[in-house]
Amino acid sequence: MTTYATQDRTRNPLERRYALLGVALIAPTVLILCAVIVYPLVSAIDLSLFSIYTPTLKGNWVGLDNYMQVLGSSGFWGALGTTVVWTVGTLLLQIVFGVAMALLLNQNILFRSLARSLVLFPYFVSTVVAVLIWRWLFNDLYGILSHLLIQLGVVDMPVDWLGKMPNAMESVIFVGAWKFFPFVVIAVLARLQTIPEQLYEAATIDGAGVFGRFFDVTLPQLRDVLTIVILLRTIWDFKEFDLIYLLTGGGPVNSTRTLPLIVYQQAFGLNQMGVAATYAVAMMVVMLAFMLIYLYQARRQTP
Amino acid sequence: MESNSILLRQALKSGISRRNVLQGLGSTSLAASLSLPLAKRASATDPVTLRWWSPQASPDQLKMYQTQIATFEAAHPGVKVAFEPTSDEGYPAQLAAAFASKQLPNVVTHLPSFAAQNYYGQGLLEPMDAVIKAIGEDMYFPGANDVYKTADGHYCGTPIGNTAADMLWLRKDLMRKAGIDKAPQTWDELRMACQKMQGGGIFGAPLPYGLNSMTSLIFIGFIHRAGGQIFSPDLAVAIDSQPTYDALEFYKSMRGFCPPGATNYSWGESLTAFVSGATATGIYAGRVLANVTQQNPGIADSVTCATYPTISKDVASWTFNDFPSVFIPKDIANMAETKAFAAFLFEPKGYIPQLLAAPGHVLPVLKTIAEDPTYLANPIIHKYTAEVTLMAGAAAAGKNLGYETDKHKPNLKANEIIASNVIAELVQRVVLNGEDAKATVGDIAKKLEALMKA
Repeated sequence: MTTYATQDRTRNPLERRYALLGVALIAPTVLILCAVIVYPLVSAIDLSLFSIYTPTLKGNWVGLDNYMQVLGSSGFWGALGTTVVWTVGTLLLQIVFGVAMALLLNQNILFRSLARSLVLFPYFVSTVVAVLIWRWLFNDLYGILSHLLIQLGVVDMPVDWLGKMPNAMESVIFVGAWKFFPFVVIAVLARLQTIPEQLYEAATIDGAGVFGRFFDVTLPQLRDVLTIVILLRTIWDFKEFDLIYLLTGGGPVNSTRTLPLIVYQQAFGLNQMGVAATYAVAMMVVMLAFMLIYLYQARRQTP
Repeated sequence: MESNSILLRQALKSGISRRNVLQGLGSTSLAASLSLPLAKRASATDPVTLRWWSPQASPDQLKMYQTQIATFEAAHPGVKVAFEPTSDEGYPAQLAAAFASKQLPNVVTHLPSFAAQNYYGQGLLEPMDAVIKAIGEDMYFPGANDVYKTADGHYCGTPIGNTAADMLWLRKDLMRKAGIDKAPQTWDELRMACQKMQGGGIFGAPLPYGLNSMTSLIFIGFIHRAGGQIFSPDLAVAIDSQPTYDALEFYKSMRGFCPPGATNYSWGESLTAFVSGATATGIYAGRVLANVTQQNPGIADSVTCATYPTISKDVASWTFNDFPSVFIPKDIANMAETKAFAAFLFEPKGYIPQLLAAPGHVLPVLKTIAEDPTYLANPIIHKYTAEVTLMAGAAAAGKNLGYETDKHKPNLKANEIIASNVIAELVQRVVLNGEDAKATVGDIAKKLEALMKA
């Protein structure tokens, strides 16, 4: 301690000025981070300790009552299960479609540039428009999907894509995968282009086939980028709201009601802002736990 | 000045030059000394903008609103009105956010009366007494404002129209073909009619089974048409009764006559199903008339309506009227201009075209308008006089969850109950999931009790 104190006192004025300059330069970033991350977070936790009527934002302190109510309700655990099913389902499809499409677009195919541009279309189109299009496709009376299936003789009656289980969850998962898989394509394609060709040549000389080259060369090379992609997409899919809300509204019988839909309904349907904040905080904790486990596992497996 | 000297000391301490600080203070003082006259001048020259929200925003209606707005703006120089559409499903969220953020519309129209009661009960709305007086209380049909009476003796809103939202729409051509000579009056007759008319790609009915407000609002009507109620007159939960089970049983029996996708239907899908000719009957308000005329004229001559059948002839019919309202949020800017605009909406020159933008859908609440030759001369109103008269009568006697019968107290929680989807959940659990009706109704009753206490 004495040594450090002595060092600090003996530091020359120029060094002290540089230190102050460093603080001054980093201060705006810290302030912005506090404003956009710390404040909303603390605010959400604070709100979750109150019973608040949304339109007036008035209410009273209830302590941990909201947490007891939320964690003790079957609604929370049911919605958590639904959220996990949706997240895992859509993420799996996104990764499979995304990696497959990236591998295809990495080949020297005809109209490759055009295909690379077109594949990004679902990601760029607004969710509202995308959902509207899919609702038309799914419509029982004039939707093309049911019409095609009837024409092909697969079914006799129009299929109820969004109004009964498991169709509703499968449809939502599929539309989610269609909407978001281009993100995986972009990231994986960028990495594929940097894998040295010599690795494939060496594997071929060693007798590796198509699958061997994919599992022994491509996949290990994609490990880092896939770790990041899975991490980001899990976070985004876990808190996905608009796509599910617009497609099914959480139905049938709350079967596709994920946690973000409950937060919305509590905050703006039932005007219970405090309970909504409690759901949001619980969601954040669950997500954080998943992420820590995932990152721990990913790091442990890294050679 | 004291505050100025403190600011000066703080600024000097922080290293800003004395000259800069004095320059800053000088300009602040100048601005402060000019602030009142500037503010006065600003209010005299800057246009006042009034925001108008409504979920009734079809292209024809929007055109008429713009005409009304232009007329109002011409008569009130310096006042601008901006129309912003909301939706039947989305307004609770949008208004909750607007109230919370204090980014409020000046006038809100066409929301159900129970929404106005709910917000007024929370102290969020301005009493509408002055607007009603400006329109002329004696111009309304008797009792038209009753659903807006509040416990403190004011009016929380005023009706801009009446809507018979759950009329039974029928196709006379299909009825003839099926050998049905009159509109069904009971559920058994309706079921039989649907059975006879279903086939050849046409379904019997487009009843909603989705997890949304339409299913809740429509099914409440079925409970009443079975002789039941959701709450007792003193607002105790009364849903757990035989009429609810009967209504569920009937609703379940109708599932086979509805398109597969009815499990996700709301207002738009249900309307389109009937108008497009995909179903033999419909359940909707008067918008059917304009839509059939424009979109499917081939069936326009065959379309008619009746009040929705009841469980038996002994049970009186019950029509869902959301009593489309006009209300004004409290503490908004430009209150005088806002009230003037709210009253202006009822001026015959603008009100009649507004109603006729969806003829027969939003029905007049002013006696003078209902009898006005301009209103009656509209081709659709003229062609479907019998249907419009029937809807007007049904709507005038209509009720909703905020006001279930004349004996009921206003239910200030109706808005949240509809937004919670608990009634739609009841329908889905019993009809779609096949859960035990007794246990599910008991569960829903508990949820309703919790919502009433919240």
